[in-house]
Amino acid sequence: MIEVRELTKRFGDRIAVDGISFEVRDGCVLALVGTSGCGKSTTLRMINRLVDPSSGEVMIDGRNALDMPLEQLRLGIGYVIQGIGLFPHWTVARNVATVPRLMGWERERIEARVSELLELFQLDPGEFAGKYPSELSGGQQQRVGVARAIAAEPAVLLMDEPFGALDPITRQRLQAEFAAIQRRRRMTVILVTHDMDEAFKLADTIAVMDEGRILQIASPEELLREPRQGFVRTLVGLDDRALRILSLHTVDEIRREPTGRWEVRGETLIDRESGRAVNGLGAGDTLREAASRIIWEAVETLPVLEAGSVVGEVRADDVWAAGGRRA
Amino acid sequence: MRRGRLIGLAVALALFLALALQPGLFTPLLSLLVEPGTPLVYTRQSLIALAVWHIAVVASAEAVAVIVAVALGILVTREKGAEFMTLARMTSNLGQTFPPIAVLAMTVPLVGFGFQPTFIALAAYGLLPVFENTVAGLRGVPATTLEAARGMGMSKRAILMQVELPLAAPVILAGIRISTIINIGTATIGSTVGAKGLGEVIIAGLQAGNAAYVLQGAMLVALMAVCFDLAFRSLERRAFA
Ligand SMILES: Nc1ncnc2c1ncn2[C@@H]1O[C@H](COP(=O)(O)OP(=O)(O)OP(=O)(O)O)[C@@H](O)[C@H]1O
Ligand SMILES: [Mg+2]
Repeated sequence: MIEVRELTKRFGDRIAVDGISFEVRDGCVLALVGTSGCGKSTTLRMINRLVDPSSGEVMIDGRNALDMPLEQLRLGIGYVIQGIGLFPHWTVARNVATVPRLMGWERERIEARVSELLELFQLDPGEFAGKYPSELSGGQQQRVGVARAIAAEPAVLLMDEPFGALDPITRQRLQAEFAAIQRRRRMTVILVTHDMDEAFKLADTIAVMDEGRILQIASPEELLREPRQGFVRTLVGLDDRALRILSLHTVDEIRREPTGRWEVRGETLIDRESGRAVNGLGAGDTLREAASRIIWEAVETLPVLEAGSVVGEVRADDVWAAGGRRA
Repeated sequence: MRRGRLIGLAVALALFLALALQPGLFTPLLSLLVEPGTPLVYTRQSLIALAVWHIAVVASAEAVAVIVAVALGILVTREKGAEFMTLARMTSNLGQTFPPIAVLAMTVPLVGFGFQPTFIALAAYGLLPVFENTVAGLRGVPATTLEAARGMGMSKRAILMQVELPLAAPVILAGIRISTIINIGTATIGSTVGAKGLGEVIIAGLQAGNAAYVLQGAMLVALMAVCFDLAFRSLERRAFA
């Protein structure tokens, strides 16, 4: 649990962070979003005390971060730095091993952990462990940066634009991998990002910052349904909010019992009413995907498949209702 | 590139050793410079012994210069030592701009003739390049790398030893190289106060109006400098890789 109270940072006359408060419960992800220079990185740096707050306090698991020994505090907090900051004179393996080494892990344990992490981030240890950062692509460096931050399984993780330099496909895959790791390890995460989609996808709570203040802090759905006037609306973007709301929900949530309409013939699934072959939805697909498929296929209902058999169906009206304004 | 350097080093070293151990081989060349009948090869001392002394005084002066300059460079790049920057820079600047010959003149009355005054003059003279390069090297460590190191929980000492110095090493080594090369040349003046070294050959040549001596001494010094230069450069490359 991270609690931030009235945290303020002045650089000379300039206020970079202006009395912000929030909390992140154990195992939850908070996204800090906002335009460049609004104080996101400064907020993170005050949590691991790379920057001393001008006033206010940071509590981690009930302990005041300002009272904890500096190095001990930081060893317990994973940090993905904006701009990656790999050690250029160390190999990938040595970079990832930084914190475990500082914590005095045994060699075998470190080696096993490094291999495990590299594999997790789809960097073949045989190929990449011995490489230097300058021999990696930007995206590969970024993955090593995230691997390094979580190497010692910190309870708290601060990530400053961790997936910035990636192409959309790699970014999505990494986001999904990260979400899986986060759920499994139940890390408490603060994620800084410019990318609203990333925030909606990964965060339990989103804090919108502007000029050092938090304008609104809410769940993704609440932020989409009830954004505050002004900057928050601009940032959230109202044009496609229905679709964004849909992407927060899964088919499972609105599926109905299947009717006798669907017939499995070998590999294909036939809609008896139209006589056409259809592709079923997966139970974990988002409603946004479902909506897209419904529109594309020009149908009113689609079946939900699980392990080759029909377990339910999704009706267009239900999808529209899920994404629409509530009465 | 690397091969070129190794070949260059081998050639320079071979020439140096030939000239120091078998100066007789060069008599045809040297005889072109002087009147017939003048002695061509310096024989008062063995050239190789003079070369060893030359290296000894340069190396010991460099050792002190490097320790002092690197320590100063580290000090002034620490948060708490920043205020010493001007002082440290003035000191090392003074060491470089104060003519070594004047240092000799001033130190001889204090420490006597020979090795010591030369050692002091060279140590002072060698300070500046090492100091400036240490500062430049440490300042050149990327800010993101330092932030990462701090953010990971490394202690200040660990950051210095494991991150800053290794990353600054190529630049610091370049400073040591420049300083050493300069001092190999400068050390010849030590012979004016009786320090053993290759300057002795040059000075003997000047006194006797013997150009062959002068050339011999100068070539030995120049080849020694070239050898050290090439050796240091390959070291720098290795430190960087
Ligand atoms: N060390 C510093 N000294 C002076 N001003 C600073 C310092 N660090 C940050 N600032 C200023 O504080 C403000 C907030 O900076 P911060 O790095 O937190 O922004 P950010 O939200 O992370 O921006 P970006 O999205 O571009 O990374 C900026 O105006 C910046 O110029
Ligand atoms: Mg930032």
